[in-house]
Amino acid sequence: MKTALLPDGLIRTLAGQALAFVVALSLGAVIILMIDESPIAVFMTLMRGAFGDAEKIAGTLLQTTPILICGIAACIGLRGGMFNVGIEGQLFLGGFAAAWVGFAFALPPFVHIIVAVACAILAGAAWVAIPAYFRVRYGTNEVVSTILANYIAVLLTSYFTIFLFKRPGGWSETPPILPTAYLPELFSFSRLNIGLLIGLFLAIATAAFFRWASAGYAATMVGSAPKFAEYGGINVRKVGFSVLLASGAVGGLAGGIETLGVHHRFMEGFAPGFGFDGLIAALLANGSPIGTIFTALFFGALRAGSLLLEVDTTASREIITVIQALIILAVSADLMMRRRGDRTGERRWKF
Amino acid sequence: MTFAVELKGITKRFGAFTANSGIDLAVRQGEIHAIIGENGAGKTTLMNVLFGLLQPDEGTISVNGKPMAIDSPAVAINEGLGMVHQHFKLVPSLTVADNIFLGMEIRRRGLIDRAAQVERTRALSQKFGLKVDAQERVAGLSVGIEQRIEILKVLARNARTIILDEPTAVLTPQESRDLFQTLRSFVDDGMTVIFISHHLEEVMAVSDTITVLRDGRVVATRPKQELTKRELVRLMVGRDVSFDRRPRHIVQGESVLEIEDLWARDDRRLAALKSATFSVRAGEIVGIAGVAGNGQTELAEVLSGLREASHGSAKLHGKELVGCTPAEIRDLGLAHVPGDRLARGVDRNAALSTNILMGRQKKAPFAKNGIINWTVVQDEMRALIKRFDIRARGPRDVARSLSGGNIQKVVLAREFTAGGDMLLIDQPSRGVDIGAQEAIHDEIMRQRAEGRAILLISTQLDELKALADRIIVMFEGRIMGVVDGNTMDEDAIGLMMAGVDPSDVKEDE
Repeated sequence: MKTALLPDGLIRTLAGQALAFVVALSLGAVIILMIDESPIAVFMTLMRGAFGDAEKIAGTLLQTTPILICGIAACIGLRGGMFNVGIEGQLFLGGFAAAWVGFAFALPPFVHIIVAVACAILAGAAWVAIPAYFRVRYGTNEVVSTILANYIAVLLTSYFTIFLFKRPGGWSETPPILPTAYLPELFSFSRLNIGLLIGLFLAIATAAFFRWASAGYAATMVGSAPKFAEYGGINVRKVGFSVLLASGAVGGLAGGIETLGVHHRFMEGFAPGFGFDGLIAALLANGSPIGTIFTALFFGALRAGSLLLEVDTTASREIITVIQALIILAVSADLMMRRRGDRTGERRWKF
Repeated sequence: MTFAVELKGITKRFGAFTANSGIDLAVRQGEIHAIIGENGAGKTTLMNVLFGLLQPDEGTISVNGKPMAIDSPAVAINEGLGMVHQHFKLVPSLTVADNIFLGMEIRRRGLIDRAAQVERTRALSQKFGLKVDAQERVAGLSVGIEQRIEILKVLARNARTIILDEPTAVLTPQESRDLFQTLRSFVDDGMTVIFISHHLEEVMAVSDTITVLRDGRVVATRPKQELTKRELVRLMVGRDVSFDRRPRHIVQGESVLEIEDLWARDDRRLAALKSATFSVRAGEIVGIAGVAGNGQTELAEVLSGLREASHGSAKLHGKELVGCTPAEIRDLGLAHVPGDRLARGVDRNAALSTNILMGRQKKAPFAKNGIINWTVVQDEMRALIKRFDIRARGPRDVARSLSGGNIQKVVLAREFTAGGDMLLIDQPSRGVDIGAQEAIHDEIMRQRAEGRAILLISTQLDELKALADRIIVMFEGRIMGVVDGNTMDEDAIGLMMAGVDPSDVKEDE
């Protein structure tokens, strides 16, 4: 049942996805063999790189955090029937806004974080507001407009960084933020910070919102049966706009947490692909925020593990991208097949 | 003699459920053989077995006297069988000819020979009198034409026996008549037609032989001449069902809905509702008669706030509805059973309890401070399942797993318990079994007895005859006349529905 915190038929879902993972990994093994590496060595290195010791695990979780929060942003959109592909852009603007508050203003410790994070959220929401308005007012396809908004966001933040804040001769980055705006770290040996906890809390809160809140019900109905929702007295445009705005706000939050917690400044290209990975994590979890925790962790582990891969083997980091793509293909094929079985009543595996 | 199709002892089970049980069916060459039965009687399952989409657990199939195993649709097509499904399977972005030859494209040097396909399509269209424009794109064509394309698809594959699954469910009466003519001409050509339906009039009008299914069994196979409509109903439902006018007490309640000079446009921005003026009193059922597409949908949508009125006024308890949102109109006390039940009335993929919550997701006792109490919702759904006799296992059932009649009961249950005293009911029994239809009519009469004002829109005159106190006839968006339900003259209504001026028709009020 789609309103459940954990979906029904969970075991069947997990079994299907596990099978998909096995198929994808086997295909990945073939590709690794083609570049004359041992698949087992590569996988072991990956595992060691992701989970080898406490520091490595923290590294994995550090990578997981932005993917998770971006994934939640995507989930919010998907549940409300909106495909927000612009999370990457919202992430960049949110990151930039938080960094700007972080270095430009001197505020008391706790307040500084709150203001910076709030600005990140506002920046993300404001950035999606334009495509959202065009979507509900004129029916513009939000997929196209949010994708295009990504380019503007990335280049705009680059422009701000290079032309307004860059130190002469230095890297393309803003001045560092003041320590009062640093997010508290969880361990002494890693930059892993409370952003992860915020992400986990947000995932549970989002799932609960869609399950139990009246407004969550309205958003779910607009997403799954818009004509029914309209007939039932739900303001479809208003809900659609709010859903995109909330999605963008969470996207902005992801950026803020990344700059305040990890880099302590805004750098050009500071978070490559987190927005898109989050979107894919959400899609693989079928729009479930709780499921996104696990898919985000998986992507985080791949990213973290691939760092060691380049050091210890001749395989390049790009091989991980290939494996990631194979997994996405396999898992979405599994999803498609299950939906097919549902629709016809009789399960038909042949195509 | 040889039969075009002969099924013997067909049994098909789905788990513990037996959809077809020992079915014998013999279809003679050159006849229109109707298979009639309520939803869930096993008609579609039987045809899917015949067409190779499902494999029977027991029984044999012979085609033209030859016993054979039909283990895929390809085999069935090879044997000259063709099936037109209830839901069309066309590619909207392709042209008519491309759709017809999809999967069996005419090729020349490895490339699709579009000109030849168009040529063949034209020839087929001409030969069978099915008018289509071969080069038009399917997107935007009416369902009637889409069905013609489906039939042409089957003919292009050289079918001699054509199976049609509920072909008229989506057609206007005019389109249905055209279809029957086409089927007749097929039979005159020596072809065989198997026609699945639960619509009595149609079956009586078009078929030569009728097989009645009930609960997965054949209850009768007889020539049409030996059957009356009433007998057919008894065979289908298993008991007598009354189509008679419902007995009633005359109530003169206060006026609840006042409509004056109301105008509205359709999606193409053309005037679809023209100067409608009438009122509905408490405890009264006002029927709206008319051929589908004569402004009834627009009227319902304007009243429920789903469409803007271009002019005029509609007052509920003296409060203006025009300009209000659907939510505000609901709060004023209007409950709406929509005509397009599957798109508007339910979320097919959601649980029944999720469906019943619509419109009350913020209201006590279902929610408090914006938090939904699902336990209360589930309990309410269980109570409604009992009260409205909805055939479902429980509140967690997904709406799409129910039959059309039961989905309609879910919609009625939600709307009739929403607390509104004005009920706007659009096509309550479209696509609904006769048995369920009777139950729905009972419920509407109960609502009338409780003093609700009811506006009943229906394209089925029988239904209005049974239920309505007054019948308003619409034609091209205008009210042609008002007829008293007790003394109605069907011919007069028929003339008005066809647009004949009612000056020579006895006017009431």
